[in-house]
Amino acid sequence: MQPPAPPKINAVEVEAAKPTEADRMAIARLSAETNRSLPQVSYTVKVQIKTKPPVTSMAWALYVDDVLIPKYWEYEDGIYFTVLDPQFFADHKGKPLRFSQNGIDFFNTGMKLPAPTAPAAARSTKGKAARSTKAKAARPSKGKAR
Amino acid sequence: MTILNNPALNGATQFDTVIYGSPPLAYPAPLIQFAIYNAPDPAYITPRINVSAFANLGGGAAWPFLNTNVPLNGHVCVPRGRGPFPLAMFAHGNHNPTENSTPGYLYLCQLLASHGIIAATIDVNFLNGFNFGENDGRAIVHLEHLKQFRTWNNTATHPLHGKVDLNRILIVGHSRGGEGVGHASFFNRLASVGGVPLDGSGPNFLGPYRFGLTAAAAIAPTDRQFTPVTGPTVVPDHYYIIHGSKDSDVSDFQGYHTYERAHVVDLANPTVSDGKFKAMLWVHKANHNQFNSIWASETPVGVAMPRASQEEIAKVHLGALAQALLLDRPEYLEVLRDHGAAVAWDPAGTEFVSQYQDPERVFVQHNQESLGAPVVSLPVQGTVAADGVVATRALTALVTGITSTITLRLAWNALGTRLLLRVDPATLPAERYKTLALRVGQSTEANNPANRDQDFTLEVSSGSHTAAIPASCLHRLLYPDPPPFGAAKIMMQTLRLPIERLVECGVDPSDLRSIAFVFDRRATGTLYVGDLQCSN
Repeated sequence: MQPPAPPKINAVEVEAAKPTEADRMAIARLSAETNRSLPQVSYTVKVQIKTKPPVTSMAWALYVDDVLIPKYWEYEDGIYFTVLDPQFFADHKGKPLRFSQNGIDFFNTGMKLPAPTAPAAARSTKGKAARSTKAKAARPSKGKAR
Repeated sequence: MTILNNPALNGATQFDTVIYGSPPLAYPAPLIQFAIYNAPDPAYITPRINVSAFANLGGGAAWPFLNTNVPLNGHVCVPRGRGPFPLAMFAHGNHNPTENSTPGYLYLCQLLASHGIIAATIDVNFLNGFNFGENDGRAIVHLEHLKQFRTWNNTATHPLHGKVDLNRILIVGHSRGGEGVGHASFFNRLASVGGVPLDGSGPNFLGPYRFGLTAAAAIAPTDRQFTPVTGPTVVPDHYYIIHGSKDSDVSDFQGYHTYERAHVVDLANPTVSDGKFKAMLWVHKANHNQFNSIWASETPVGVAMPRASQEEIAKVHLGALAQALLLDRPEYLEVLRDHGAAVAWDPAGTEFVSQYQDPERVFVQHNQESLGAPVVSLPVQGTVAADGVVATRALTALVTGITSTITLRLAWNALGTRLLLRVDPATLPAERYKTLALRVGQSTEANNPANRDQDFTLEVSSGSHTAAIPASCLHRLLYPDPPPFGAAKIMMQTLRLPIERLVECGVDPSDLRSIAFVFDRRATGTLYVGDLQCSN
């Protein structure tokens, strides 16, 4: 038997969206924790996967550079995660996206984290990913985008 | 000694199987397998819960609800009679979300119910998919199901009124659900997680929990897909883990890290125990999926043992766990202490490696002090001397992944070499314990002959009397079973030498002077030693 191969990524994009109720609560908590007033925007980072692997319990953890994305979710064309602190992009824009199953062996996807669209573009997202973000999504980067 | 009955055999208790659920649930055609939860037993209609603070719904399926109102669906086998009955609750792991994974543990629920245990298997399929980090959500769902049973137990008009023994609860999870039960055991004691209250308050109205959890059992679990802000979860309850060597999903036995983090020695107070045991069963030729009767095997034909054998092993060992902990039959703990106690019940020829750490123990050598030369661990006092054997302590990854547990590596290339621990008998009250226990395992390193059991002699001395016991008289030290892919695991076997046996050899346990590993049975080898302790 062969070990599973990491997913291949077609594209990565960032969309600013209107935060869900769970997002708003998380933004409030994060604002309090960091003593900063975070904007009422939720950024959805959509990672388009060439061929989604079968659903198993083992997972491909997604990293932006060395930062583990603690939660990601599935949509029709791939996976997405949510960023609530724009500082995350300031810190990690242009950094490589990597997969790992054990935190030791990393696979570079060849893709980098893009910059988000302007917060002014925040909108009620429509489409597949938006349907999946009816509630809270991932909050990467402890203490930053949480 | 009490004669034990095979815990995999059905008991005499009659039971009824009931479906509970949260209608209306208009599952679309691709989710037709879930329609059963839209027509639950009328007495078992459940509310919805809001898990949006923890998880999104899994992709790949059009669930007829949001993560703000997910259903509490499940199957429960309820013994007939007045009760109160203990409660066991199973949760599945990640799998194709359109296939209902929930009934896959009914074979275990039915067994337990026939012995007088309320046994449920819960629906967490809506969190399944190509996602990551949602295992806190699985834990919350598990705990909310327990809460529902507490509500029923406290509702005068409900069929389960007064029938659930809320102080005897076993939570069992498979795969990501196995990681989930570790988090559930941890969350159960908390008032909030990550800023989300678990005290029953709004807006999520989750908790309160604080159940009398007896134990958490994990079948082939993942580890650290979710990590609390306080660090990797340390299971606070009795912990049991079972995993197969041919697991081709969670192929790296990452749950071993969960096991190693549980109930570790407190270096500041090494004689203090948290009062909980942990036990592990490593099953050669078992794979991942066959523990769930619904899931198709993930390994090609011939790689793993037959499904019926794997299910039988689950019934024997989880059955023994339930008998011991939920039904007050502590004699079944013997199966956890030594898998050999189940040899007559397990499928013939099955090879196992097992570990057990009793809550009552004093370490002679736990190896966690530092990466320096091996020492006798305080408060036991003594010295360690290596004669012809290379003894080094290292953070060896016995299974793939980052380990925080130090093991002692012993390598020798000639017969008669030895590692000698001299101890001050005044600091080692061995007479208060029943066994001398140590964890030892071999690797695939070149000086271990392939496919051959490793062996050595354990010499224990008090004054002029010495007992020399071959390790192989206590248990086989198996050569690692080749994994489906990746590196072979180094699985340490707990060897339990009864103090009584030492006494029979003339050794005075109140005057133990030395313990030696004598490498006189194989000319070469490399062994890894986790710890050496006097225990019960």
